[in-house]
Amino acid sequence: MNAPVQMTLLQTCVMAILQAVAAVIFIFVVVPMTIYAERKVIGHAQDRLGATRIAGHRVGLTGFLNKWMWRAGKVPILSYWRGLPMLVGDIAKMFLKEDVVPSKADRAIFLAAPCLSMIAAVVVFGAISFAPGALFIMPKWFPIVGGLPFNGAMTDMNVGLLFILGIASVGVYGIVLGAWASNSKYPLLGGLRSGAQIVSYEVPLTLSLLAPVVLAGTLNFGTLTRVLAVESSPLAIPLMAVGFLVYLTCGFAETNRVPFDMPEAENELVAGFHTEYSGMRFGFFYLAEYINMVVVSCLAGAFFLGGPYLLPFGLHQFAAKLPVIGAPNALWYVLKIIFLLWVFIWVRATIPRYRYDQIMSVAWKYLIPLTLVLVVLAGAVRFVS
Amino acid sequence: MKKILKTLIPIDIAKGLKVTGKYFFKVFLTANRAKKRPHGTEEYPEVPVKLQPRFRGRLTMLKDEQGEIKCVCCLACEKICPTQVITIESGKKEGRKTKLPTRYDFEMERCIFCEFCVESCGFDSIILNHQFELAAYNREDFSIGMLGKEHNMFEVTPVAKFSYSDED
Repeated sequence: MNAPVQMTLLQTCVMAILQAVAAVIFIFVVVPMTIYAERKVIGHAQDRLGATRIAGHRVGLTGFLNKWMWRAGKVPILSYWRGLPMLVGDIAKMFLKEDVVPSKADRAIFLAAPCLSMIAAVVVFGAISFAPGALFIMPKWFPIVGGLPFNGAMTDMNVGLLFILGIASVGVYGIVLGAWASNSKYPLLGGLRSGAQIVSYEVPLTLSLLAPVVLAGTLNFGTLTRVLAVESSPLAIPLMAVGFLVYLTCGFAETNRVPFDMPEAENELVAGFHTEYSGMRFGFFYLAEYINMVVVSCLAGAFFLGGPYLLPFGLHQFAAKLPVIGAPNALWYVLKIIFLLWVFIWVRATIPRYRYDQIMSVAWKYLIPLTLVLVVLAGAVRFVS
Repeated sequence: MKKILKTLIPIDIAKGLKVTGKYFFKVFLTANRAKKRPHGTEEYPEVPVKLQPRFRGRLTMLKDEQGEIKCVCCLACEKICPTQVITIESGKKEGRKTKLPTRYDFEMERCIFCEFCVESCGFDSIILNHQFELAAYNREDFSIGMLGKEHNMFEVTPVAKFSYSDED
């Protein structure tokens, strides 16, 4: 790895702004693409094509090219992204819908809750480090400050992981407060379920992230990734593999995804905590869920799959000799995040929702003891190596 | 112990994931090939649908090799029809031993496509063809007789213009 370059204050500021813009673009590109991918991937997994109608024919992105192939009686080549303009329709629908506030609701909290969820989801991106190494390093002639090393996160702080976990658990306040402020039975039930579930799964989640922290001996995001991918001992491989599965399970529960989507169980509760929400306020909850998915994927990719390094679990030292792909690159990290998002959707297409008591018993009876054992073993591995 | 192991090792979940994952890649890799379709999606208006041979479409009269109408006006179809959409008037023709329909009215708007008429016909003179695009804008278009250029008992109904693919 390149030694971290000592940056001047101006360079740091410019890097921070660039990465802020990158994070915003990341959120507002990756999240809609995930919503689109959700339709297509679930469709494919269930033996159908998913959304095909828009842009498949004459209107939209590929319509012009598709027209001639349809006339020749063939399914168009460019049909992988059929249905893509549906995203625009979804977003337009969300903006145009009437924004109803129930008359008996606690107005201030009702209005603030979705913003709380959204902010808690977005702020986390500040501490996620997409590099060492780089997709690009600005050359020396770059007009600002003699070249910009693309290095570290927006704020590559020493307590990055702690910051992420702390902010991420604020998201549940948005759900619980929104549910309570709706002054309706179903949201209240959904909010209670969500509160209990997220509080339960916060424990094994944090404990499963504690094992990498014990192994690496730091909380700094970038350093943690580097140590786990490059320097960790081979003894830690089974440990990290189990930890990865446990972390992923808890991540599913934290983001309220299927099979842990208790708060929005639409069969039992009408729509769960967001029953009374409409328009863009519902959209905020919706977006927050997807951004949380991305955040969970970022953490899992960084700590268990090696982040910007090619191979995880300390195996990167063997891959480092390879000419091009051996160099740490933010592209690997993005690919890992995309793969994990795909896994999220894949699981949704496969596993049905669990019963509520099953979810709780999995968290308390199995995951917490397991992660405690993992932490102890991680300490042992660190002591040995 | 076995239960704990089963809970800790997610073998059942892995089996389920294997099935959906397999189907995902199967469909993903062949989604664009019309000939090789592992997916169940019909690209209907653009690509014609393959119908089963027993599909029951619109009632049609048949003619034999000489171009003569096979129907002999035994009125079996008219009698057996549950919704009574068939009305037959019989007539005569020089040089033909049996009777010949002068009118054969079929009101498709009330037809339930039960195929009783075809089963009861002893002369194989009517069938239900494979046309299912039967929608029309006017009610008159559903009354089909032997006469008329567009709507008659011998040919398929002209398809109304609904979808993009029907244009130009």
